[in-house]
Amino acid sequence: MTRDQSPWGAPKPDPVPATPTPSEPQDHLEGEFLGRRVRLFGLALRTGVLTILTLGFYRFWMKTRLRRWYWSSIRVGGLPLEYVGDPVEKLLGFLIAVVILAFYVGVVNLLLMFASFSLFQGNFAAYLASFVGVIPIWFYAQYRARRYVLARTRWRGLRFGLEPGAWGYAVRALGHWTLTLLTLGILWPRMTYHLEKYKTDRTSWGTGRLSQGGRWQMLFPSTKWVIFGVLISACGAVPLTWEALETPLLSDMMYAKPYFGLWVALISLGIAVLTFGVFYYRVDSLRRLTATKEMNGVGLTLKARPLRIFGIHFWGYTLASIALFVPLVMIMVVIGFAMAGLIGAEDMGVDLDWLTTLDRWVLIVINIGLYFAAFLMWSVFTQTFITFPLMRHYAETLTLHNPDALLAVRQRPRDEHIEAEGFAEALDVGASI
Amino acid sequence: MTLRPSEISRQYQTEAYFLDGVIPHAQKIECWIEKAADMLAIRTKATTLYWKLDDVRAVPDQGGKDLLVLRTTSEPLPRVLLTDPSYIKHLPKARKTPPVTKRGKLVAWSFAALTSVAIIIFGLVPLMANQLAGFIPPEGEQALGDVTLTQIREALTDEAAPISFCTDTEGTRALQRMQDRLVKAQALETPLRVHVLDHKMINAFALPGGHIVFFRGLIDKAETPEEIAAVFAHEIGHVVSRDPTRHALRSAGSIGVLGLLFGDFAGGALVLFLTEQLIEAQYSQGAEAAADSFAYDMLLKAEISPAALGTMFERFLELGGETDGITAHFMSHPALGDRIEKARSAEPAGFQAQPILTPKEWRDLQTICGDSHERRGKSLKN
Repeated sequence: MTRDQSPWGAPKPDPVPATPTPSEPQDHLEGEFLGRRVRLFGLALRTGVLTILTLGFYRFWMKTRLRRWYWSSIRVGGLPLEYVGDPVEKLLGFLIAVVILAFYVGVVNLLLMFASFSLFQGNFAAYLASFVGVIPIWFYAQYRARRYVLARTRWRGLRFGLEPGAWGYAVRALGHWTLTLLTLGILWPRMTYHLEKYKTDRTSWGTGRLSQGGRWQMLFPSTKWVIFGVLISACGAVPLTWEALETPLLSDMMYAKPYFGLWVALISLGIAVLTFGVFYYRVDSLRRLTATKEMNGVGLTLKARPLRIFGIHFWGYTLASIALFVPLVMIMVVIGFAMAGLIGAEDMGVDLDWLTTLDRWVLIVINIGLYFAAFLMWSVFTQTFITFPLMRHYAETLTLHNPDALLAVRQRPRDEHIEAEGFAEALDVGASI
Repeated sequence: MTLRPSEISRQYQTEAYFLDGVIPHAQKIECWIEKAADMLAIRTKATTLYWKLDDVRAVPDQGGKDLLVLRTTSEPLPRVLLTDPSYIKHLPKARKTPPVTKRGKLVAWSFAALTSVAIIIFGLVPLMANQLAGFIPPEGEQALGDVTLTQIREALTDEAAPISFCTDTEGTRALQRMQDRLVKAQALETPLRVHVLDHKMINAFALPGGHIVFFRGLIDKAETPEEIAAVFAHEIGHVVSRDPTRHALRSAGSIGVLGLLFGDFAGGALVLFLTEQLIEAQYSQGAEAAADSFAYDMLLKAEISPAALGTMFERFLELGGETDGITAHFMSHPALGDRIEKARSAEPAGFQAQPILTPKEWRDLQTICGDSHERRGKSLKN
């Protein structure tokens, strides 16, 4: 391959300052992420405001634009992904899903509510049944949404694709979940592997078909921090329970048992390790699954770091909460002072009757405004502080091996998929991007 | 090729990359603008393509600002990638959005979605609710009422805790005496559970399972205990005909559908709004008329003039201007004037009314929410 034919990923004849290209030979392509956080913040804010002003209907455009932005920021070997989803087809798909689900939600919920109050004197049974009934549709919707997103994603001009098979996925997901719950989570890696395999084996890029290699047992090492966490917690919980059986009074236990503090510390430490363990499992299993995917001799590796992903979530949520709640509390305080001022004025004999008729409406408007503003800013902040760094980290740690084999692949036909991700949209599956 | 580049004005020549959408290979190309033909020329190794300048669009929302990605509206797949984003100034239509396609389909499905939601909310759900309300056992109905009452109290509160019940001992006893007088003459299937909520709204409503709820505001504004008794009888009428049960079942069905349509953002607010609507329970005109005539009957048997209901309605009309901007329950009912007339004429000639409460009991009922100085002060000022 000459330099002239394939400049992307190879040393470029005209180096672009913003995308420095690695000078290694062409045996792999590196992932990179180019978008800037401040631009994402602006885009998320603008589209979010429009979403609120349109009672939520702009969200299809918001989602499309955010995806377009993220996809175009991700480059592998210098060439960006492109998201070609269309907001109008999303709206259409959503309307189709509403037509189908409205019946289910309206009539079935009413029947469940009736049955639940008649038989169990409460609405818990209805909520439970309605929740359980939605689970298969949830998995179904998840797969359909993935199919839609892949069908509308291109790289190097070729479409990705996912074969139809949403019900098959829902059935398998239900089966694996049942098995996982019955084995108290021991078969969780088996579920992770097989569901990933189901999806990967049906995924294509152009005419190239992906396949998931490896075996499910390879994911056991990913669970190590979860196991440590459980063991540490158990070291505290078992003696604590033992002592609690001997001394039923908590106050007695705190004074009489010298190790009480130690057991509680062990349990807390265990829970902290377990929390990290969940992130570790997610990232490490993803690394292992990525490394065993293959397409026409092309391979992938992901070097994402679990501690980094954990940190992004931890600091992201901390920052987002601070950024949301500090101004919110300040606004509340100002309103509080304003109200106190008004009451004071009334005590001094100032006639404020017009205010008392006004206040309820003003309060309603302020409340609704704050409610929406808080909702909007939360989603903008989580985009900025969590989704953005996550995407960047995953993109930057991705490597594609044997890129020469890519050139044998050709375009695949368009997957119309008219219902798009309507079900996922209606049921709020994967609402983040 | 009929057009030979040398024959036409060639402008802004630059290097770029081309993805043809067939082979996954970014070919290095030359491109330029043919000013005379208004075309973007793209010279690949094999051939030279021409895109009409009017069709050339820049792919929007690019994360990396170092690339300008161009497409043409006439073909979905090919892309030109320019490493000089400022090139967009030579492309007149680049920032225009492509036209909306599938408009007909969109209109058709929007219509279908609205129609099906409307059929379900206004047709199927009320129909089923009406049928099912007759079959729900008393314990179930009570539980439904309890849940709804809690929801309403939570929706009405401004602070963290739900608004409280008024439980002054003397006041409760007075209310109980009123209830006994009304119910004495007539056995009820459902035992009544009567509450007063500490809220200034001028309103009263019934919930499934025999709950009847008065707001403090209603008691404050009534001038005689008979007016309260008349409203009481009207609400018992709703309880007996199970209107609230139908209504609660109906909202269980419709709230979910509306949440589905509006999503996270507006959905949450809408559910709150609907809970508030529960209080304003819009029963049909027929259901209201039935509750009214039930009330006349009950009042007559209890030796109270049915005209008291008319007096209360009149009071609502007078207070119209100062009900805190909220249309009170009865205000929203249709043809209030007619109902005042009917209540008046429901009193037979020569009817001898017996006072329902002693003056002492009436004072007790008025202070069921505690003897608030603040409220006293306000009413004196008014």
